[in-house]
Amino acid sequence: MSSAVVVRLAGGRLSLRFERRAFAVTLVLAVALAASALASLSLGSQMTSPEAVLEALVVPQRSDIALIVHEIRLPRVVLAILVGACLGVAGLLLQGLVRNPLASPDVIGITGGASLAAVSFLALGGAALGEAWLPMAALSGALLVAMAIIALTGRGVTPARLVLIGIGMAAALGAGTMLVLVLSPDTTAMQAYVWLTGSLYGAQWREVAGLAPWALVGLPLALVFARRLDALALGDELAVGLGTALQGSRMALLLLAVALAGAAVAFAGGLSFVGLLAPHIARRLVACRHTGLVPASAMIGALIVLYADLLGRIAFLPRDLPAGIFIAGIGAPFFIYLLHRWRS
Amino acid sequence: MRKCVTFAAFVSIQLRVLTMRPSVGVFLLLGVLALQSTAGVSAQESHDERPVRIVTLYQGATDTALALGLEPVGVVESWLERPMYRYLRDKLPAGVRYLGLETQPDLEAVAGLVPDLVVGTRYRHAAVYPLLSRIAPTVIADTAHDVEAMLEMMGEATGREVEAQALLAEWRARVADFRCRAEARLGDAWPQRVSVVSFRGDHVRLYYDGFARSVLDQLGFLRPAGQRGSGWGIKLVSRETLPALDADAIFIFMRDDAAVAELHREWTAHPLWQSLDAVEQGRVYYVDPVIWSMGAGILAAHQLLEELYEHYELHDVVHRGEGGKC
Amino acid sequence: MLTTPEARLMGLVMGALLALAAGLASLTLGATAIAPATLVEALLAPDPSSVQHLILRTERLPRALIAAVVGASLAVAGALMQTLTRNALAAPSILGINAGAMCFVVVASSIFALRSPLALAWAAFLGAFVAALLVALLGRGRDGGFSPVRVVLGGVAVTALFVSLAQGLLVIDQEGFESLLLWLAGSVAGRGLDMLLSLLPFFLVAAGVCLMLVRQLNLLVLDDEVVKGLGQRTARVKLLAGVAVIVLAGGSVALAGLIGFVGLIVPHMVRALFGRDHRWVLPGCALLGAGLLLAADTLARLLMPPQEVPVGVMTALLGTPFFLHLARRRSFTP
Repeated sequence: MSSAVVVRLAGGRLSLRFERRAFAVTLVLAVALAASALASLSLGSQMTSPEAVLEALVVPQRSDIALIVHEIRLPRVVLAILVGACLGVAGLLLQGLVRNPLASPDVIGITGGASLAAVSFLALGGAALGEAWLPMAALSGALLVAMAIIALTGRGVTPARLVLIGIGMAAALGAGTMLVLVLSPDTTAMQAYVWLTGSLYGAQWREVAGLAPWALVGLPLALVFARRLDALALGDELAVGLGTALQGSRMALLLLAVALAGAAVAFAGGLSFVGLLAPHIARRLVACRHTGLVPASAMIGALIVLYADLLGRIAFLPRDLPAGIFIAGIGAPFFIYLLHRWRS
Repeated sequence: MRKCVTFAAFVSIQLRVLTMRPSVGVFLLLGVLALQSTAGVSAQESHDERPVRIVTLYQGATDTALALGLEPVGVVESWLERPMYRYLRDKLPAGVRYLGLETQPDLEAVAGLVPDLVVGTRYRHAAVYPLLSRIAPTVIADTAHDVEAMLEMMGEATGREVEAQALLAEWRARVADFRCRAEARLGDAWPQRVSVVSFRGDHVRLYYDGFARSVLDQLGFLRPAGQRGSGWGIKLVSRETLPALDADAIFIFMRDDAAVAELHREWTAHPLWQSLDAVEQGRVYYVDPVIWSMGAGILAAHQLLEELYEHYELHDVVHRGEGGKC
Repeated sequence: MLTTPEARLMGLVMGALLALAAGLASLTLGATAIAPATLVEALLAPDPSSVQHLILRTERLPRALIAAVVGASLAVAGALMQTLTRNALAAPSILGINAGAMCFVVVASSIFALRSPLALAWAAFLGAFVAALLVALLGRGRDGGFSPVRVVLGGVAVTALFVSLAQGLLVIDQEGFESLLLWLAGSVAGRGLDMLLSLLPFFLVAAGVCLMLVRQLNLLVLDDEVVKGLGQRTARVKLLAGVAVIVLAGGSVALAGLIGFVGLIVPHMVRALFGRDHRWVLPGCALLGAGLLLAADTLARLLMPPQEVPVGVMTALLGTPFFLHLARRRSFTP
């Protein structure tokens, strides 16, 4: 007991127990995240020093880069953090739910549903409705697919079935996306491809405002639900023995994961690997129960997206490349290494 | 500009409050902020003087700006002949800044140029329009291929209505001249039904829509009966569909690339190609891919017309009609 | 199910007839319908001046042959993989073999500017090999066995890995994107006979290996205990069968891009008819796989002429309900 930090909320009715190591790691990650955010705010095609950026943040009246910092970089940095956090936590929930470290939102078709909806939206001239509807289309795609998966899985939500049906859906959705891409003109196809890869280009406060409510509700909920994952991790019989309502827990966790991942993908496009990588790294750093893993996964996810987006912004100036390229390029080999370690 | 600064001040005050609150508060207040940011500031398109620092974010706008005699301070890279199409390159001012690709122009660099006017298109920049209009007065073109509408819009936005009208008049006179000469040259064969075709590395495209098609429409060319479909056009992968290309004349553009050349060789060697009307009549014209599919402005339209004059040998047509004046 | 050898032989003959019928449809249907009589004429006494003969010989015939070879290869590869991993859901497309081949071909053509079919085929083999290795690594549990869900998840992770790498490359290299999009979607159109001929030796060698292995493969279907007792002998069989899978799937990707689900559906249909004996399953898969892809390709070009639906999209849309049906079952052994 002495190695734990207990946070009591709501007059002691809700308490969250963090192991000491998890707490320390979370603190370190938070500092790293803040520093990285400042670094990302200071870098771009316009040269700006960190001091000037700080000044622009604090007293924008005196700063001539206030516009660049407040309107261009800050929303993008905040969106990257929110997107990464949502995806990281969604991946953690799914992996705990399926009891397999290879599950993630892109594997079970959630990203695929959002992608098909978004690409169809772009190809069918949805832009005429206004670009603001694109995230809505993507989000409804993700939710529809989640509902279809649940319906097909039937009453007994076993991890194996859930994941296999998700994979089948993902394959069909991928084929549908491909068909739309092949039939659309180059320019739309390219735009759609950038979306599929995942890009935070042109992020504005509008997008941040769209995603914030989901993160705001979903991330704390994940923290509360995390204890159920610990019970599920013990296996079905033990979990039932401990008094966990198995199906109810699974359904709630699945919906939460879908909501987090769907919302993130809706605003950032089909970023893959974040949901797969972040929980793995978190587990290596924290090595504890899920309550401690939630903030760690969120922050690691945020760091991954933040740095990938930073690279995409400044590595090939004046081109702005999708963050998804860098996550795949660096994340994928790292992922294989992790799996190798996990096996041995 | 002043509005931006006051808005930013508001942001920073909020942020200072935020830094002291736990993370939940940050998210909440950011949400509030964002709502205010969308509601509070709108585009400012009224201006007293003629803008001089202009940024063009798509190829058609760069073309049109240069036609109006403007000197853009920032332009997006071209798709071919990088960084800028040859037909526009020497018209650009020396210190022009390249802003990346049309699909994702570097917004910071746009802000850094402190422009008086930004020109974008709805098809590319609708999503970033709110941001652009906070950087500078921004106009967004509604049409993709309509050269005349684009010219009028940019003339108005830059206070060069007179120049725009002059260019428009010149263009329309040339269109009328072309129609007259083409009629004189082709007689009953005018108006022709034409196909616009592009060879790619692994397929062939037949365009129903697009810049070239819209200029050809304006010149009075017709479409073959089979090409009434909606949408941009179709992709063909099997040579047995070659008859779909048939018309009185075929305009072909393609990139200079080994795979494209190989596919072109395979398709044009096929007997079905040889039996197309346009091929038998010798009316297959190879045209410049940049001019026909990428420039998309009034300068490109003029060059396209010039190519047509050459192909149909219209320069030496003397008016023969009864009282016709070409 | 067919139990006697005579009935099974009849089954194979029926399968061959089905494949032939699909082939006939593929040769005669399309933008211009061609009468079967003309078909015979074109094959026996080609007339260079006849447009229909030329369409048959330059377009339809290579296309039908490629569809048949690719369909047969993918189905046999799927059957081998299902036996090797003892997993009903195994198939080259599900386990990332196709994606690995695809990614390496994209790298070869966009970074190293390789264009010749043979070079691309070698890239595809290498990619298929790397992907198979990764899946084998990821799918094996602590006890050394392959658990179905673990293998499938490993395959999907490997697919995600290679697809996102290829996607990234294509976003950077826009011109490559344009000319690879159709190929990525899977298509047997517009490829010449020469491309098939240059890869044919590989397919033939793989087929030979399969013929050699049929009896030993039957041993792998037996109980775990028995297989373990056989020890060393099965290791060699597994290795050879693995090589055959890589050549068959890699070669198919090099010829026709990403075509999914043929390798999943066909082995199941064949086993429902012929049981688990590989002496019947493998030829049955080859015949029905060829027939299925021929039919899918014919359908793909008839849906919205003169355009075509990529055949890979067709097979995925046809195959998904089947996959979902399998996934809903309780057991995952083939």
